[in-house]
Formats: sequence, structure tokens, C-alpha cells
Amino acid sequence: MANMVNLTIDGIKVQAPEGTNLVDAAALNGIHIPNLCYLKGIKAVGACRLCLVEVSGQKAPVIACITRVKEGMEVNTKTERVLDLRKFVIDLIVSMHPLDCMTCTKAGVCNLQEYAYDFDIKQSSFERKSFGYAPDTSNPLLKRDPEYCILCGRCVRICRQQDTNVLDFMGRGVGSKVVTAMEKPLQESGCTFCGSCLDVCPVNALVEADRSRKGREWEYDKVPSVCLLCGNSCDIIVSSKDGMVVKVNSDGEEGSSERYICAYGRFGFDCLIADTRVTTPMKKVDGKLVETTWEEAVVIAAKELKKAGAKAGFISTAGITNEDAYALNKLATSIVKTKNVDTTASLYGDKATLLSAKADIDFADMFVVVDLDPCQWKRVLPALDAVIRKKVNAGAKLVTINAGETGLGKVATVDLVGDAAEQLKSFVKGLLDKGLTGDAALADAVKGATVSEEMEKAAALFAAAKNPVVFTSPAMYPASANIALLKGSVVSVPVESNAKGVMLIGLAPNKGKGYKEMATGATSLLYAVGEVPISERPKVDFLIVQNSHLTELAKQADLVLPSAAFLEDDGSIVDYLGNLKFICQAVEPPGDAMAHRDIFAAIARAMGAKIEEADEAELEKLVKYDVKVSLSPFARKEGFDVNVNELIENINASVMNGSRLFWLKQTEKAMV
Amino acid sequence: MSEEIKEKEIKVDDIRKEAENQKKCPVEKALFYTQEFLAGPMCGRCFPCSFGTYETQIRLKKIIEGNATDQDLATVKKIAEQMAIGSLCKKGKDTAKFILEWIDTGAFGEHVIEGRCPDQECPGYFEYRIVPEKCIMCGDCLNVCRFNAIFGDKKKPYLSGYLPFEIRQKRCTKCGECVPNVCPTDAIVIVEVKPKILEPAPV
Repeated sequence: MANMVNLTIDGIKVQAPEGTNLVDAAALNGIHIPNLCYLKGIKAVGACRLCLVEVSGQKAPVIACITRVKEGMEVNTKTERVLDLRKFVIDLIVSMHPLDCMTCTKAGVCNLQEYAYDFDIKQSSFERKSFGYAPDTSNPLLKRDPEYCILCGRCVRICRQQDTNVLDFMGRGVGSKVVTAMEKPLQESGCTFCGSCLDVCPVNALVEADRSRKGREWEYDKVPSVCLLCGNSCDIIVSSKDGMVVKVNSDGEEGSSERYICAYGRFGFDCLIADTRVTTPMKKVDGKLVETTWEEAVVIAAKELKKAGAKAGFISTAGITNEDAYALNKLATSIVKTKNVDTTASLYGDKATLLSAKADIDFADMFVVVDLDPCQWKRVLPALDAVIRKKVNAGAKLVTINAGETGLGKVATVDLVGDAAEQLKSFVKGLLDKGLTGDAALADAVKGATVSEEMEKAAALFAAAKNPVVFTSPAMYPASANIALLKGSVVSVPVESNAKGVMLIGLAPNKGKGYKEMATGATSLLYAVGEVPISERPKVDFLIVQNSHLTELAKQADLVLPSAAFLEDDGSIVDYLGNLKFICQAVEPPGDAMAHRDIFAAIARAMGAKIEEADEAELEKLVKYDVKVSLSPFARKEGFDVNVNELIENINASVMNGSRLFWLKQTEKAMV
Repeated sequence: MSEEIKEKEIKVDDIRKEAENQKKCPVEKALFYTQEFLAGPMCGRCFPCSFGTYETQIRLKKIIEGNATDQDLATVKKIAEQMAIGSLCKKGKDTAKFILEWIDTGAFGEHVIEGRCPDQECPGYFEYRIVPEKCIMCGDCLNVCRFNAIFGDKKKPYLSGYLPFEIRQKRCTKCGECVPNVCPTDAIVIVEVKPKILEPAPV
């Protein structure tokens, strides 16, 4: 914990951690200092001059976003001089901003509107300026309208911070414009459509393209939730109106590097109302799927499961919640009594490789990325890529260890290319050479490894870092974990959101058949839960698919059970850092669709048994875990070679094909 | 190319000196300065300076064209005062200082309230006219005027019935090319006029 500094703001004695600026210090204590260009977590530029405050002992006003707190400081945020100046600046900005708050989408959350209200500015006292710039409406995701832009530069800076570098200013002063390179449309300028710019825009210059007349902020029901579409499980805020999701924004603590979501998370919610949605149970009659009732469907499922018994197989995605996984495990192991239970998580990891110690990346000042190629552009663990790049741009060090060239390698302080296991070995040797001590056996294990000049540099950085974090693929986790014997924490990054949770709950083959065997038809009955990446019907007697969308596999199934999709159910997951995260239900599932665990319970009832709903405390106990790192050989764990890119695309196929992302996919394909 | 890049950054003081040299009227000086400042050293980073100077420029143009009211004068002054406090760097603060200095000469007030430009430089406050009695219809001024603002037929010695030349005020840009050493009889004169905005409304 940082030292606290005592100061006075507007006559109130307050405390703030050392090193914070006045805007944050005031916000901590419930005082708002107006600002338009300040972004917590990103270096302030002091452009808008709204945050000017007077500090006693200083002749001229100072800007609060750059000034740091000092012991005994006396700050006055509301003197006549600064209020006059604020009014003047708002007045100037309003003179170049359309006065159409009555139809503006951002009304209610617009900072300019708020400040104009505060200063009672109905219209500008200055000459009205308009430059007639056309909005960029060439894509169905983001709309940029330079007419509304107040040139605060937040979007430009956040884009630069996460290394996407799409936006920049053209010109300066009045009449300048935020543009892409050569003023091309966003899709042609390397934009990832993550929409970070959209979250930071204080006015209506950047909005979701379809937001016009879909209700305004105060009409929405907002719930904090977690995105389940990939292994990063980012925090989101879901806004819904009349039972429909309208938009998704990134959540997370303001100013933290984790405050990011990608295009999947932001725009994927369209798939909730896609045509492929299954809303009633369906059974196969004469080779055709026909609609049926829940009563009948449950009876059929119960009958077939009873018949199959120990020969039944259950596979699920690792993107289901702990509660669902718990119910599925109970249904499979104690009611159907089969050992064939597995998830897609076993494609890339197992209990030993997925469960890693908890880590906090907000205080990390050094990252080592082993055998991972997160990429915002390909949307492979994009949040991890963005978080690391943001941190690197803020001064953190980065070492990448990979078999080939990676995107992150280009921004790394030291980029090590070569066999990852060998590299790790010599990295640990380098660390030992730098004087780090740990397990005595480690020295023997790395005997004979050569430490190159580059490696020595990387080791020196690691040894000097205060709070290093290592990200690794599950396959390389045992080898990477050796680093944690010396220093820092090692995080195994899964591909799916709740891979750690399902492992903890025990959704793994327990002497039964695994995912790969079941996918080819090793069981007499297959019960697939969620968007399982299998497109060909395995050779089974009976196939039950329980999913929210009619996938290729579901079309070939004998029984299709409609389940709630993400955002339609609540629960909890264990994210890649090992934190327990809670998901809140944003909207009701459509039609007859039910939550996974409710379907399992209904089937259990039909089989004459009962699944006790897991109570919260029990679940929390289940997913609480402690990892003891022990010395393991420097080698890649075999059997976990999966194309991460393909897997993420496959488990999200319905999301992508049923939403605006389909357009993005097609466009990106055409661009290449 | 490389020489262009190396070109020395223009300093605000230099622009002011140039303004002092080129123009006589303080309003003209201020306009010249703001235009050069916006085109050159203004970085556009902070709002009071970049937006404020732009607004000042608009208002100064109004004054020069004779369309300004005392409200415009007050606005220019207010902007400069706020810029002096609110600007990020010295460039903005200096700009505000210079404009305030020019306002302090009193010439701005003379323009807006009394309706005259003492240095006869601001086009809104005077007109060029031809004294009909003096005009000999020689056509020298026709040749000089780039804007075809002078109206009339050159007199041919064997014909009669010509009318003296006239200057069409709508076309005249008050560039002044026709005055020095052009008219052999000095028929073109400068006449001070009051801007329309200051004329009392008809009862």
C-alpha cells in the first residue's frame, strides 16, 4: 500500500495515495473535477484545461490531471477564476458542437452536455462553426461522426496505448479531425473493432453504429457480467432494454489495464436473436428435426440415458459456468453413472497444466510470455495482448519466448525465438547466474544450458523486476512454472473462459473416455453441451445436443435441447488469473430455452433422481484452490497441440455467424 | 526536402515584429498576427489557445469589415484574458498578451464605437471614390484595377458625350493600387465612411 498524503480539497481534509494526481485524488474523495481529455491510467496531456484548479501558494492555476498530490496541499477547485475559465472553454467547444441534444444518442452520458448544464450554456456566445465533415458509416459496428468531435484526443490516445494505432489527428486546432491513415474506412486501416475508443468518447462522435433511436442510457438496465467467449473472460457491462441487449461495454476498474473487450464481446450479443437460435426442443422423426415439448424431450433423453448407462458420454465446452458444470457432473457421474465426461479444455490442457497460482497483473512491471501468440488482430486472446501492450507502453518490460515470430515479439524488450523448452532452461540458468536462489535441485536441472547474450539481458530484466508475471500456454506450464520457484508468478492461459473452473469441479475423464475418443464415437450415446467444435456426427446410436444455436452438429442430432446463451444466465467462473468472477443475467432466454443446469435437473427428475442445486458456499469451496509449484522437467507436455485460432473460431461459430461479426469476418477475409 | 524540415520554427515574437512592420492599424496587426499564428506555430494541443485564437480571428475580421458591435470587442478582450490564464504554454500566453496590448492602444474602440479607422487601413471604414469633376476619362485606372471595379469607357479624342468613371463599391477590395501615381489628375480620393452597422436605424 502506498503512503497516504494529507491535503485539503475545497476545504475538506482528505487523504490520497502518494503519486496520484489531483483529479484522481479528488475523485477518491467524492469531488469531481471537470475534465474532457483526462483518461485514468493513461498519461495525461492537459489539453482541455477544464481541470484547472488553484493551489494556495501558487500564483497561476495548475491543471489537476498532471499535478501530483503533495503533503499539506490546499486545493480549491471552485474559485471564480477557474470557473470563469471552465465556462469559457465549454462555451468555445459548444460553438463547434451540434446543438441537437434532443436526438443525440449520448444524451445523459455526454460530458459536454453535463458541463454545459452546469454552466447554463444554452448556446455558445461565440460564432457557430461547422465544417461539414461526413460521418464514417461504412461499417455496421462503429460510427464515427467528426461533426460531434470535440478533439479531446481520448480515442487517439487509447488506440495508441493498446498499439492498434488506427486513429490520429489531422491538422491542428479548430477544423482538425480524427482520422485513420489516408482517411480510409476503419476496416481498411487495421482496426480491430475492439471499440475501446467508443468507451472513452465523451460525446457522440463515436458510438455503436446501430444505436440511433434504440433508447438512451437512462432507459437501460445495466448489469455487470463476464464475457464467456474466450479465455480472457473480460469484465463487461451489459445494457438491455425491453428484454433485448442493446450494447455491451467494457467494465473493470477504471484506469486498470484490464479494461478492454474485443469485438466478439462487444458486438457478439447480436447472436442472441439470430435466426439459428433454437427456442423449442426438437426431436428427429424420419430423418427430420421436428419441434416437440419439454415434457416429451426430457422423457426421451431420460430413457436414452438410462439405456446407455455407463456407455453414455458427455462432452461440454469449457465456456459453461461452474453451476452448470457442477450439475452436469452430478448428472453424469451419480445419476447416469458413466465415467465418460470431458470438456474441450482437455484439447489444450489438463488439471495439472491449467491450474496455476493466482496473479495480479495490475501491479506487474514485467511480463514473460511463453509459447503464446495472443493477437488483437486475429482475436486470439485479444485482451491479453491489449493488456500486455498497454503495460509495455506504460513502461513495463516484456520478454517473449516462442518457437516462431509473434506479434508481441515485435514490441518485446527481448524477443527470444527458438524451442521454448530449451529457451526456458537457459532462462532459468540465466536467473540462477544473476544470483536468484530457490530450489536446490534446479541448478542440476539446468546444467549444461547455454546462456546467450540476449538471454542474459532477459534474465537481468527479470531479476531486477519487482513484480514479474509469466504467461504461458498450458502445454508449457510445467516447464515455465520452474521460474516461479525463483521469483514471480506463472499463469497458465487457457483458451476458454472457464477452463480452470470445470477442471476444479471435476469435469475431466476419470478413467473414462476422453474428448478426442468421444468425438469420434467411442460411446453409444453422446450428450454434447454447448458449442462443441465437432461438425461431423460421431458414430453413436443416439446424439443429444444441448445448445443455444442450431449448429452443424445439432442438425444431425436425434434430440436438440435449447439452452440459454451467454448473457441469459447467471453463475460464476474462474478466470485465467484464478479469480472467481460472477456473471449476472442480463436478459431472459427466448422461447422455451432454459439454463443448462435446469435442463440437467429436469432430466434427472425424469430418471427418478434429484440434482441438488449447488449452494454458493459449497461451490466457492470447490473452486478455491492452492497451487504448489514443484520442479518439473523442461519439456513441452505432449497431446495439447491445438490450433488456438481455429478453436476459438469454432467454439464461437454461432456467435460470429449470427451477428454483425459475420460482416467483419467476411470483410477481413476479403482484405487478405 | 531536408532543408524544408530543418526550417527554423517561427517564433511568436517574429510574427509580432512582422505585423508591426507591415501594418499600421492595431486591428490589422492583430488580425495579421492571429492568421500567421494559426498557420504557423500554433500547436493545437490545448483548447483555450487553439479555439480561442480562431474565434478571435473571426471577430477581428468582423471589426475590419465594419460589421462589429461592442459585443465583439468585449469578446475579443475576454478571450485574450482567459487565454492568458488558461493556455498550456508560453506561445498561447504571449498571443493573449500581444492582443491585449493592441486592444490597449484604444484603436479597437475607435473602430467599433466611433466607426473610423484612424490609420485608414481597415476596408470597412473608408471608400475609394472618383471626383467626377476631376476625371478626364483617360483609362489609366482601368488598366491598374485587377478587380474590374472601375466602371466607364475610355474617352476617344474624336468622340464626345462621355461620363466620368465610377468605382463600384461592391467590387472594390480597397487594395489601393489605383491611388499612388496612377491618376494624372488625382481624381481618386479616399473618403471615410461609417460602417452601416453604426448608422442610426431609420425612424
